[in-house]
Amino acid sequence: MLETLLPILIFSALALAVIGAIRRVRLWRQGRPSAVPLLKGLAAMPRRYLVDLHHVVGRDKVMSNTHVATAGGFVAAAVLMILVHGLGLANPVLGGLLLLASTAMFVGSLFVARRRRNPPARLSKGPWMRLPKSLMAFSLSVFLITLPTVGVLPEGFLQGAGSWILALALAAVLAWGLGEMFFGMTWGGPMKHAFAGALHLAFHRRAERFSTKGGEGNRSTGLKALDLENEAAPLGVEKPSDFTWNQLLGFDACVQCGRCEAVCPAFAAGQPLNPKKLIQDMVVGLAGGSDAHYAGSPYPGKSVGEHRGDPHGPIVAREGKALVDAETLWSCTTCRACVEECPMMIEHVDAIVDMRRHLTLERGQTPNKGAEVLDNLIATDNPGGFDPGSRLHWAADLELPLMADVKQAEVLLWLGDGAFDMRNQRTLRALVKVLRAAEVEFAVLGVEERDSGDVARRLGDEATFQSLAKRNIATLAQYRFQRIVTCDPHSFHVLGNEYGELGGVYEVCHHSTYIAELFEAGRLHFAPWKGGSVTYHDPCYLGRYNGEFDAPRNVLKALGIEVKEMERSGFRSRCCGGGGGAPITDIPGERRIPDMRMNDVKQTGAELVAVGCPQCTAMLEGVVDATAEVRDIAELVADALVANAQMQSPAAEAVDATRRPAGKTAEEVI
Amino acid sequence: MRPEQQEIEVAVLVSVGRHPITGRARRADQDARGLELALGLERQLPGSRVSLLHAGPRGEESEAALRGYLGMAAGADMGLDTLTLLEQAEGSDAIPALAEHLAAAPPQLVITGARAERGEGSGLLPYALAERLGWPLVNGLAAVETVENGVATLLQALPRGQRRRLKVRLPAIVSVDGAAPVARQSAFGPARRAELEVIPVAAQPDQELAEWQLAPARKRPKRLKIVKAASARDRFKAAAAKAEGSSGQVLEGVSAEQGAEAIFKLLKEEGVLR
Repeated sequence: MLETLLPILIFSALALAVIGAIRRVRLWRQGRPSAVPLLKGLAAMPRRYLVDLHHVVGRDKVMSNTHVATAGGFVAAAVLMILVHGLGLANPVLGGLLLLASTAMFVGSLFVARRRRNPPARLSKGPWMRLPKSLMAFSLSVFLITLPTVGVLPEGFLQGAGSWILALALAAVLAWGLGEMFFGMTWGGPMKHAFAGALHLAFHRRAERFSTKGGEGNRSTGLKALDLENEAAPLGVEKPSDFTWNQLLGFDACVQCGRCEAVCPAFAAGQPLNPKKLIQDMVVGLAGGSDAHYAGSPYPGKSVGEHRGDPHGPIVAREGKALVDAETLWSCTTCRACVEECPMMIEHVDAIVDMRRHLTLERGQTPNKGAEVLDNLIATDNPGGFDPGSRLHWAADLELPLMADVKQAEVLLWLGDGAFDMRNQRTLRALVKVLRAAEVEFAVLGVEERDSGDVARRLGDEATFQSLAKRNIATLAQYRFQRIVTCDPHSFHVLGNEYGELGGVYEVCHHSTYIAELFEAGRLHFAPWKGGSVTYHDPCYLGRYNGEFDAPRNVLKALGIEVKEMERSGFRSRCCGGGGGAPITDIPGERRIPDMRMNDVKQTGAELVAVGCPQCTAMLEGVVDATAEVRDIAELVADALVANAQMQSPAAEAVDATRRPAGKTAEEVI
Repeated sequence: MRPEQQEIEVAVLVSVGRHPITGRARRADQDARGLELALGLERQLPGSRVSLLHAGPRGEESEAALRGYLGMAAGADMGLDTLTLLEQAEGSDAIPALAEHLAAAPPQLVITGARAERGEGSGLLPYALAERLGWPLVNGLAAVETVENGVATLLQALPRGQRRRLKVRLPAIVSVDGAAPVARQSAFGPARRAELEVIPVAAQPDQELAEWQLAPARKRPKRLKIVKAASARDRFKAAAAKAEGSSGQVLEGVSAEQGAEAIFKLLKEEGVLR
């Protein structure tokens, strides 16, 4: 009786799964076109899954092994089951393998069940709570129906009169398992993550993130440019269907593990953002409906069930509520902690900036100081609205060589907008001192420099970003230099990773990288460190965006400092709250992000926190009653320089002075 | 929101502004506030239409600045997808062109900024226009409160935060300065999509302007305001005190000749007339 029932069950579940898959694919295809190599992507998918995805999942060993056992067991069991029970290839070898696979899956599902007994807050509940039971139902029933195939049970065991009931019960349990695993996979159950996730890996919008046989993938963190030439192209994302189809697919791949939620600084600060909920809201948007079925942590301060959307309706309502409130989108600091942690490689930050672009470019609704900052950037090329001619005032006495005079230099020192900030001017002066001590041939653009466009772009104003970027690129094209050094990781990221798409390709490095190189080359000498204990705060735009974790630590080591690491450091560093225009849009929360970060510093007992970013400096120094002093790496290096008197020699200054035409100084600097 | 309020036609005169620090062309601050005031009427008087009017030469820089006004239309359904550009050569007198255009299809309300950010910047345009059209003029407008049966109730801003409520029969010209609501953000998309409707007008060279000699402004010495106050309370009182006009006088129930004579005398005293 089971021989006839099993193929019917299996193939009807498969047929339903195929119908569901077609429906789901049609949902994704509501998105805008995006050129992705389909076959190449599918071919690369297994490697992306086994190597890159498991590299992220493997940060939690128990979960990683659980997933290997459960998912591996399921895939093997599903294929073998179709062969053995669906097609009737009752081969004992296949049957034995099937027993093994279902056992592995069962063991895995026990661990899944254990995790679901007291699930951490970041995990979604709801249908996910039944998943371990479904996994067990599937693996156990497959195991039991396979026993006769390998002859462990006598052939006639299931033939007797009483066994009818047993067989029916077994079939019912199997139907449950099949329902969850096959039907649910494409009809929106928890197993959807496997189906959408596999395709998402294949058709990912940033294929360069993944490793190939040739080598490691890169971080691929630069935002993608909007096409402003084509007036028909939408400016950002208004409706879910304005996302590209593979972005929609990516949202659908979310497994709701909440790792993003656990690391999101805005969520921890009680601002109305939860990356997981945001992605789930996008799923609600692409399928249409309300968020009432969401079973995870809500956006802080916003109850679930009040928002709804559909693929062709607005994501952010002009008035009232739609799918997401604008303040949710503006809470993000673009720190990329969520992207870094996401085992599904979902691109949260891209999606948020896409939606911000619509709000800024089409609606003119950049909150709080946003509009003012953007107006300043348009009118004065810096966010503070300062006179562009005063960009070098901090260096009036330093006689910095100007590119306009020297035309070429080994290093172009990019000042960034910190040049207008009195705190950062101290860092810049320290950096100049260090460069002079190492006798680096450098020059600055001076008043020809403009804001890199980082803030404008992250506030969604792609037009202003591209305008600034193109003018900066035109300026840079006039001069010859080997590389750009900057003490601003935001400029570093934009110049290094985002100007390329607009035609500006440069070798850019952070000042910590450059100082580490100078030290390696024996061009800098330091006095031994006499201060107290020190910790180091990784700037997001240096670390997660550009993978530079070692150089700052090497510099601190060279200074004789032993870094007391914070619990969250390196790629898991917690944001200072200063990125993505968050201090400008200033969405209220329960706590401040920099306060939490200074608390992290406090826990290490460090008396000083070394930083490498003007934003981090400003945010962390703004913390009241801080237990640690905030100093830039350049300042620490400048203080430790030995033979200061000789190195800061009149000779070195004289060299600079000879490079510039006499009499030009006064005009340029003032 | 009362039923007798009806929708009105508003024309906002906009100019090409000049950023105070960099001198770049931009939407002029006061004109943008004027447009903001007009856009705010949508809530009070649903169905009101706003038209934008500019007289001047057409150029790339000025077009970008003018589109800054059009970018404020995002989400406002007030017919703000075009701007009428009365194209004239540089140095032409804008007043006849504007007056002719406004007289041809008179709106009920004309809003202008008090003073242009480039060019003459004399602040006389609203007055000259009002004179030509024979319409009443209210300067320093802070808000339009109601419009009923062709009469607008306006709130005029006076120094130190004082407000005066005025009733004006429409059509009228109003000018706004820093007391009007701050202009909303200008969005790139609507600004780019909007169209400039160019109407070439006969150039009337501004004869007087041609005779002028223009020179960069010099910074003039400014008398420091010295507050002789012993305590913080006194300083605050001094800062917040009303300007007490010491020599002003209120003339009531006098004939036109007497009034004119009093004004003439004052102007002589002040050295305005010699």
